[in-house]
Amino acid sequence: MKQSLFNFAFQHPKRVFLLMIVAVIVFAAMLPKIIIDTDPENMLPSDQADRVFHDEVKKKFGINDLIVVGMVNEQGIYNPRSLAALHKLANEILKIEGIVPQDVLSIATVDNISQDGPGTIRFQWMMNQAPKTTEAAKEIQNAVERLPFLNNTIASPDGLATAIYIPIIHKDQSYRIVAEVEDIIDTLDSDDQFYISGLPVAEDTFGVEMFLQMATSAPVAGLLVFLLLWYFFRSLSLIASPMILAMVTIICTMGLLIGMGYTVHIMSSMIMIFLMPIAVVDSVHLLSEFSDRYHKDTTPQAAMQEVLDHLFTPMLYTSLTSAAGFAALALTPIPPVQVFGLFIAFGVMLAFLLTIIFIPAYVVSLSPQRLSKLAETTPHDDNHGPLTSSLKALGRGSLAWPKTLLIVFLGITAVSITGVTKIVINDNPFQWFQESHRLRVADKILNQHFAGTYNAFIVLDQHNEAELTAQFNKNTDDILAQAQADGVDLTTLWQQLKQDSTDSIKNKDANSEFPQFLQNLALKLDDQLFEADENQTMYLEALLAATERQLNTSKFFQQPEALAYIEALQQALLTTGIVGKSNSVTDVVKTVYRELNEGTADQYRIPDSSAAVAQTLLSYQSSHRPQDLWRLVTPDQRSASIWLQLKSGDNVDTTQVIDFVDDYLLSHPLPPGVEMDWAGLTYINVVWQEAMVKGMVGSLLGAFVVVFIMMIALFRSILFGLLAMIPLSATILFIYGIVGWIGKDYDMPVAILSALSLGLSVDFAIHFIQRMREMVDKHGSFAAAIPLMFEEPARAISRNAIVIAVGFLPLLLSPLVPYNTVGMFLAAIMIISCLTTLMILPILMAYMKRFLFNESQDSPQ
Amino acid sequence: MNNVTKLLNLTFLLTAVSTVVGTAVADETDVELIVSKANHIAFYQANDGRAESRMLITDGGGNKQVRQFTVLRKDRGEQVDGDQDFLVLFSRPADVRNTMFRVIKHIDSDDDRWMYLPGLDLVKRISSGDKRTSFFGSHFFYEDISGRRLDADRHELLETTDQHYVVKNTPLDPDSVEFIHYTVWIDKSNWMPTKTEYTDAAGKIYRRIEALQIKDIDGYATATRMQASDLRSGGSTLTEMRYIQYNVNLPDDIFSERSLRNPPRQWFKRS
Repeated sequence: MKQSLFNFAFQHPKRVFLLMIVAVIVFAAMLPKIIIDTDPENMLPSDQADRVFHDEVKKKFGINDLIVVGMVNEQGIYNPRSLAALHKLANEILKIEGIVPQDVLSIATVDNISQDGPGTIRFQWMMNQAPKTTEAAKEIQNAVERLPFLNNTIASPDGLATAIYIPIIHKDQSYRIVAEVEDIIDTLDSDDQFYISGLPVAEDTFGVEMFLQMATSAPVAGLLVFLLLWYFFRSLSLIASPMILAMVTIICTMGLLIGMGYTVHIMSSMIMIFLMPIAVVDSVHLLSEFSDRYHKDTTPQAAMQEVLDHLFTPMLYTSLTSAAGFAALALTPIPPVQVFGLFIAFGVMLAFLLTIIFIPAYVVSLSPQRLSKLAETTPHDDNHGPLTSSLKALGRGSLAWPKTLLIVFLGITAVSITGVTKIVINDNPFQWFQESHRLRVADKILNQHFAGTYNAFIVLDQHNEAELTAQFNKNTDDILAQAQADGVDLTTLWQQLKQDSTDSIKNKDANSEFPQFLQNLALKLDDQLFEADENQTMYLEALLAATERQLNTSKFFQQPEALAYIEALQQALLTTGIVGKSNSVTDVVKTVYRELNEGTADQYRIPDSSAAVAQTLLSYQSSHRPQDLWRLVTPDQRSASIWLQLKSGDNVDTTQVIDFVDDYLLSHPLPPGVEMDWAGLTYINVVWQEAMVKGMVGSLLGAFVVVFIMMIALFRSILFGLLAMIPLSATILFIYGIVGWIGKDYDMPVAILSALSLGLSVDFAIHFIQRMREMVDKHGSFAAAIPLMFEEPARAISRNAIVIAVGFLPLLLSPLVPYNTVGMFLAAIMIISCLTTLMILPILMAYMKRFLFNESQDSPQ
Repeated sequence: MNNVTKLLNLTFLLTAVSTVVGTAVADETDVELIVSKANHIAFYQANDGRAESRMLITDGGGNKQVRQFTVLRKDRGEQVDGDQDFLVLFSRPADVRNTMFRVIKHIDSDDDRWMYLPGLDLVKRISSGDKRTSFFGSHFFYEDISGRRLDADRHELLETTDQHYVVKNTPLDPDSVEFIHYTVWIDKSNWMPTKTEYTDAAGKIYRRIEALQIKDIDGYATATRMQASDLRSGGSTLTEMRYIQYNVNLPDDIFSERSLRNPPRQWFKRS
């Protein structure tokens, strides 16, 4: 089978090329259909419970994702010029497409509720026109600071900053909307500083910059890899082949991904960066050996055949292990990560196939002149070059001090394990940007001035509808029975009215269905009363009263006790230090109640009865923005949402708040029938992160076992299998040890890199062990074989390590942190796994040689 | 300006009489006359009246709320289409029952408005000033209910169709309102404004008020179903006017501060 593949390549190189060209054209044709998706919500399947709830909450309360525009003036923003700029900015923003203009929050768009002389309440725009005088500007400051739900949300308490909250319809429009806001800012006559923040901006900006990175980082890395290969092989015609191979692999894989309708997510954008080294690795091994073996007295086909014969198996296995490592990501419950893993696995196997077909076909197609030149000039770094000398020294060195080295190795292992225990699992889309990025700067400054620009929502739902229904049926049955006793039969009419009321319910949401039914029923009874016979009137009135009473009871978050529960929870949240502020219906009720009274501080409280609350809220709705109330409580008063402003978008901080609330609920149980849940982007981030961490542990363990079994199968030896696992285990351990010690957050890219480490670091061990066994067979003993191992085999391994480690260093220049992380990790993976393979494996082999090798003669030193 | 309007109103009254007599007249071309006729039909029919109103408020998310109230209205009669008294008594939802809203609408100055909240046992005066605030959480504004001063806008007859006079109204003080201009369709047959559309700074129509049903009540063309739609949020409020009576002979003294706490029940009752 494999020989027929080789023969096909040797005999029909043109057909191989043609096939590849066709494949490239077909798959490249799909690339323009690319859809970028940077929405972290998509880290969860669309039917995942928390995500479904989050969407329901957004719909129920009319909540949209927010862009936050901050305006800062160190001299204070309450001056005519700054406020004029703010006024113009806010009004121009209202004209931008894709925003929700009626919900934009800013000094220039909100209402003021205030006293206007004794016994008079006033609803007016906070700043309908920019103030002309400093005094007028200060009046605005006083007014804003008097209203608790505005202060520290749209204006900072220090008077130095103000914010505009722009709700947007679709998150993927953020980048464009921000650009339009920036255009408006440029036209302002202002000395103020402007900052734009908000999670959707971070996400969408990341998408745009990611696209740029895909277009720049991968080609730059490719170029550098090319230059390094050229340094090692000194033959452009020879090294063109791995580059072509890498390109074809990437185009086909990405084309397939896009063609199959998958979106390119943050992870999948890195597929090409991951595939580049993997695709190059095998062909470097192949070419490295080929250039060593090809001389004037052999044909290229014979030399290539020889190389293929003994590299096929190790290459197959290195590819299979890499593919297994990535395919194991399919075990995580995160769709973009699954897609990423599976397509890389596909790419790895495609690269393998191309390596054994395309490279031979390419080599035999080279002109005799080129080949003869190759035979003369390559390999550049043969048995005397600096790399070879260092490798030989390395080989001698490690065998000279085996115990010291093993102790050092074990020491590092111990330190790494400690490091791993220090790992902090955390992510924050803002930290995907470097510290100097304008978004990070904006995020920092705005969170210094304001209560917080990250949003989470605690949602309380009253679910006692079954109890209410039973109570209602009992009460009304009593009235009907009384009517019956008095000779008035209302049963048929009552059934009809109930049926009609049920039929006209539009919104079939479980906890609002019953109040809607009651509301409809009350109206129908009211209409019926006008037509009713005199003898029915009394009973219909009783039924109407019972219906309205039950409707009142069902309005749970209009009851003072329920509002007080929310108030206490909000107070407690402030003690976390992470929640800068929270807003709820209680705050609105208390503020309006205060203004309905004389506006004094002692009136800032929850009114005493449900009716008083209802009337307070009715008054509030006589403002310009009655809809603001429904962001905090549903019109049926069965669900309330507490809007938390968090100072940090770090998952660790959100988790801390969640844990705090869990604890709080233990000591302050929710009112009967009430259920609590979380929503908001910060919460969704925590959910998928937890899913990812759990999933990654499973995936890593799964891949580890699969690779181990493969190694045993490959070497037909448990001992060799164990040896082969050492460099990869050490690499993963050391790398995560470093992560723990330097305090880098274990975030999504870092998690995914375990798959890359696993796949790449086993490669060197496979090659080394395979060649070692061949050498021992050929030269009779471990002692005789080991020096030779540090010539050509070690050279192939180190060339690979250097090409990949150095080739991906340009990723460090990217403004996106996940790309930096990948660049750094690739270098670390290469160095650690190369050194462990070349230093630790020989030592261990030397100690265990009698169990490992069938030596014809044994001569230990 | 004001005097001119008054004069025009007077002229209109005379013309109205001749219209009622029922001859087919040529299209009116004087826009001031058209808008004042429409104003009269919408807000000044008969000397007084009583109606029950039921508002169904639907927000963009489909949530429904109800407001039910009874309105008593009486013209002060000091001038043609001039000052008016209103009492609005809420009956539904039950938790705001007996909340009373009292208005004296002034043509030459700001309106006086009071509110009584029984749950707080509190009478509160509502500061004059902006009238373009929500009418108790509905998509109607206070100004839609009480009427906008004719001299607040510049009027322009855009078009005369078979059925309508189409009038564009541009505010004289653009900073006091949230629209750039609004367009009213006035039915030629009865002078009823049947549709109003508001245009925002971005040039988009964002708000619409429609008379969905017009009934003849005691000889007065009356809009019995009105709808206000917020085209941005998708929410709307449907108002149904029922049990309408004109020329009830409401006594002047019920339009008093005393009535806030003690509603004159006999006049509010359905009959």
